[in-house]
Formats: sequence, structure tokens, C-alpha cells
Amino acid sequence: MKLKGHQWWLWLIIMLLVGGGLFLFTKHDAWLYSRPVAVVTQVETTSRQRQRDQFKNTDYLVDQRLKVRLLNTRYRGQTLVVRNHYTVSETMSLHYRRGNQVFLSQLQAKKGRLSAMISGLKRDVVMVMLVWLVVVMLVLMMGNAGLRALASLVANTALFILVINLDLKWQGRGVLLLFSLLAVAFTVISLLLIMGPTRKMLAAFLATVVATTIAVTLSWLLIVLTHERGLYFESMMYVTQVQRPLFIAETLLGSLGAVMDVSSDIVATLFEVKRLHPTATRHQLFAAGRRVGQQVMGPLTNVLMLIFAAEMLTSSVLFLRNGNSWGYTFSMTMSLGITQSLVCGIGIILAIPLTSWLMAALIGKGGRLNGHN
Amino acid sequence: MGTISLLTIVLLVLMVTVGGRQGWSAFWSLLLNFCCLFFAIVLVSWGLSPLWITLLAGTLILAQTIWLGVSDGFVAGRAFLSSMVVFLVLLGLIILVEHAAKVPGFGVEDTDALEGMSLAIGVPYAQVAVMVAGLCSLGAIAEAAISVAAGMATLLDEKVSTGKTSLFHAGLQIGRQIIGTALNTLFFGFFGGFLALFIWFAGLGYSFLTVVNDKVFVSEITIVLVSFVGVLLAVPVTAWLISWNEHPRQ
Repeated sequence: MKLKGHQWWLWLIIMLLVGGGLFLFTKHDAWLYSRPVAVVTQVETTSRQRQRDQFKNTDYLVDQRLKVRLLNTRYRGQTLVVRNHYTVSETMSLHYRRGNQVFLSQLQAKKGRLSAMISGLKRDVVMVMLVWLVVVMLVLMMGNAGLRALASLVANTALFILVINLDLKWQGRGVLLLFSLLAVAFTVISLLLIMGPTRKMLAAFLATVVATTIAVTLSWLLIVLTHERGLYFESMMYVTQVQRPLFIAETLLGSLGAVMDVSSDIVATLFEVKRLHPTATRHQLFAAGRRVGQQVMGPLTNVLMLIFAAEMLTSSVLFLRNGNSWGYTFSMTMSLGITQSLVCGIGIILAIPLTSWLMAALIGKGGRLNGHN
Repeated sequence: MGTISLLTIVLLVLMVTVGGRQGWSAFWSLLLNFCCLFFAIVLVSWGLSPLWITLLAGTLILAQTIWLGVSDGFVAGRAFLSSMVVFLVLLGLIILVEHAAKVPGFGVEDTDALEGMSLAIGVPYAQVAVMVAGLCSLGAIAEAAISVAAGMATLLDEKVSTGKTSLFHAGLQIGRQIIGTALNTLFFGFFGGFLALFIWFAGLGYSFLTVVNDKVFVSEITIVLVSFVGVLLAVPVTAWLISWNEHPRQ
């Protein structure tokens, strides 16, 4: 599908209408929730106190008196007053404003007067609108390729949720096996949707699986050899299962996309080279593959480093402000993320000669290549 | 030797073996970018405005990634220009989204990790959230811009295309080829990092509607989606920039 002229405009109008509809719907979807939802109609600041902690950080503690109108439950339409405390830095608390939709807890009526606690902001409107924006951009700008990318994301997410539920059912036993299988499935789905069932896809698949396996195994060996010096697995966040296998599984999944990216780039280029120069030898193809790899390795390793490291920013700032040294902050908040991005980097680099070699062997002179499938 | 040092050395050796001189400069870009990020964190903790630090560190990181990663000056120049444009537009979007979604700082899921810490630290975390999302998206923007710019430079070299519109469409076509894998890189990068969080959600039986409104989840998913938007913007902006200012290359 390649959208043209009036067709493109038609799609744009439809998408805008859908977007407007979604916005109105999520704005008024309080009836979907069993938790009480209310809208803030009036805000009054009752007190504002300067606060200083033992590390000489200055912050302000603010008390708010919020008048809210209930949007669901049987008290719908009634108003009540709730209190909220927040620090101006908003590390854990929130500053509510007029028009915010919020969740309430412990809603009860005593002698006709309603009382409740505020328990969080309703964020579904932003979420839905952001997803809508991405989908619109994918479809309108990328056409068919965008739709395929979307299908791949949806299929992978569904599979991911399924496997997480399986993992819980097995209570975390066999985490590694489960998520390795998931990684293989992810690779197959993603590459199939990008390339279709071709020999290109097979080559990229093999290279991805082998490179990721070697990178993760090798890195784990190195981690064991150095006795995990400098790594603090107890600092892993949100952990509810055994830490080390979970860490490996995270690294495995994290590096998968980037490794796939390199190998599919190389595979696509080498097929093109072979099409233009049918007499290319294995040696020439290998060299061409390496050249592609050299170009993408820098940007790609940086993509993952930035993802893994920037995630730690929130807690690093907190650690530093709590009087911890740079070294301690690094160890406790960044060491695991950095390790993950190093392992991913190793995977990306290994994929370059592996894919080039595999492709050279597959389609180089002396190999077989029929047409350009 | 510490684990991280050993892994770094292994990566360096591999990069130089496979990439030669370009591998060497790729390694430097990685190291410099990390230093940039680290000092950005330190500066914010010293009380400087996170928004200004984001602009500064973002520009530096883009420059290092692109100029050290690409050997062709034409490609690097155009890719840098278009990534800067996309980065600025994206920052606007991020500020808008963070304002509406309000996901600064930590969520209830972080409570254990924060035990014993002082939370009234006087750093505007609403801005820190913008900083995280902005810096996370940089790599992906740069990568997309470089791919499109490099592809179009090849076309210009071969003198395949004539005219601005067809060159612009050729750029979009190159973008279509990379979009699938670029999105996958981001998707897996993020979901790998937050496997533990998703297991937590499923284990405690969070309902779909609870997850969609959860502070930690929303903050993560916002970063992923905003980065997607960054990649999607980088393609047409780069294509337009090169076709608009088309010079025959010597």
C-alpha cells in the first residue's frame, strides 16, 4: 500500500476523527473503573513549610486542600474535600492542579459527609493519545512498512505477556530456558514481518541467535571469572524472583533488537551487492559486510548504552543528593545497567563477522543463489 | 580486575578487531557519551536546571555519536543538523506529555529501594523526568538520521535521482526499510530492561486499568513511545533537509 494524494488526506481526516473520539472517550471513561474516580474542581494551598534535611537539601512541604467531584460510584456527582501533601521536588508525591482526574481510596460516607484519600493520578488519556500519535505517524508516513512494524510490536507484546504469565505459573523456575525460547520466538516473528519467509530471513535469524548466545554466554563466563566484583545484584530494581537468571534474561532480551538490526542490515546489503555483482567472491562479500558493520556499530552501541544508562538517572540524582560518593552511586545505581549495555555491545560486534561470514558462505561464488529472494 | 573493566576491555578489543579505525572511534564515542551522561547527573545533583543540562548534554551526545560514528563529512553534517531539529521538537513533545502524565520521581513499587533515604532533596523531578526521556531517545534519533543520510548520499553519488521531490521520496523509501528494525531495537532494549517490573505487575495481579495508570509503567512506556516518535520524525526531516539543500557532491 502506498498512500497517494486524496487517499492520504482521507486517511488523515479519519485518523484525526478517531483521535478526537478516543480523547473524548478516555476523558469520560470513569465508569470503566471500579476504583472511585474524581475530578479536581478547586485547589487551595493551606500551608507551605521550608524543610532542610541532614544533607542540607532545602525543599518545601506543601499542603493542599482539594475540592473534588466524583465521576463514578453511587455517589457520582457529589463533591468532597480531600487533602494532599507534596514536596516541591515531587520525588514521591504529586502537585495536583484544577482539572486533574484522580483516583480516591477509602471512600466512605459518615452522616452524609463523604471522606476519602487521594491515591494517584488518572493517566489513561495521555497514554491513549500517545499511542494514537505513534500509530498515526507509522501508518501515514511509513505506509505498509509501518503497518508491518506495528503488527510485529503487537504480536511481540502479546507473546511477552503470555510468557510472563507462564513464568509466574512455574514460580520462576526455568526462567532462563523460558526467556531464551521467547527470544527465539521474538526473533522469528520480527524478522518474518520485516523480511518475509525468505533465505535472507533465515540468514539473519541464524546470525542473530548465534551472536546473542555467544555474547551472553561469554559475558556470563567473564562475570563469574571476575567473581562479580563491582556488581551489586541486590541493587536490581523490582525483583521478585532469583536475581541472576533474571538479569541474564533481561540482558538477552535487551540485546536482541540491536543484534537483529545489525544482522538484517548486513544481510540486506549483501544480497543487493550480489544482485549488482553476481560474480562477487566470498572474500569480497565478507569485506562488504564488515564495512556495513563498521558504519552501524557506533550509533547502535550508543542507542543501547543511552537506554540502559539514562534509566538510572532518576535514582542516581537521589543517591548523590543523599550524601553518597560518586563511586558508591555508580556501583549501586549504574553498574548493572552498564554491564548490560557492554554485553549488548559485545553481541552487536560479534554479529558483524558472523553475519558476513554466514552470508559469504551462503551466496558467495561457489555458493548457490537463485534470483534475489 | 573488576567485572566492568574486563567487559569494557573485551568490547574494545572486539571493536578494534572488527571495525579497525572506525571501531576505535566508535568505542570513544561510547565512552565519551557515558562520561557526558555521568557529568550531566552530577551537575543536576549540584542544583543546575535539568532542562538546560538536557539541552547541553543532548547536543554533545548527538555530536559525539554522529561525528565519531560516521566517517563521511557530508553524511555526518546533515545527520547532525536533522537530529538536532528532531531533538528540539521532541523535547517540546516530552514536556507536554510529562506535564499531562505527571510521572516525576518514584512510584510505590520503588518504596523498598528508597528506604532510609531523604526524599525532600530540592531537585525539580518533573524536569528530571523530561531529562530521562530526552536523553534516552538520542541514540535512536541519531541512528535513524545517519541511516537515511548515508543512504541518500549514496544515491547522490550514483546520480540515480533527479529533482527534489523524487530525492525526498527516495529518502522516505530508505526510511521505510529501516523503520521496522529501528523500532525493534528500542522495543527490546526497553522491555529487556524492565522484565522484572512486568513480572512484578503480573505477580501481584495488577489489572490492565491499574497498569495503564501506574506511575512507573507510564513513565517507562512514555519514554519508549516518545523515542518511537523521534525515530519516525528523523526519517522525513533528514530526507527533507538533504533534498532541500541538494548540492552535487564532488
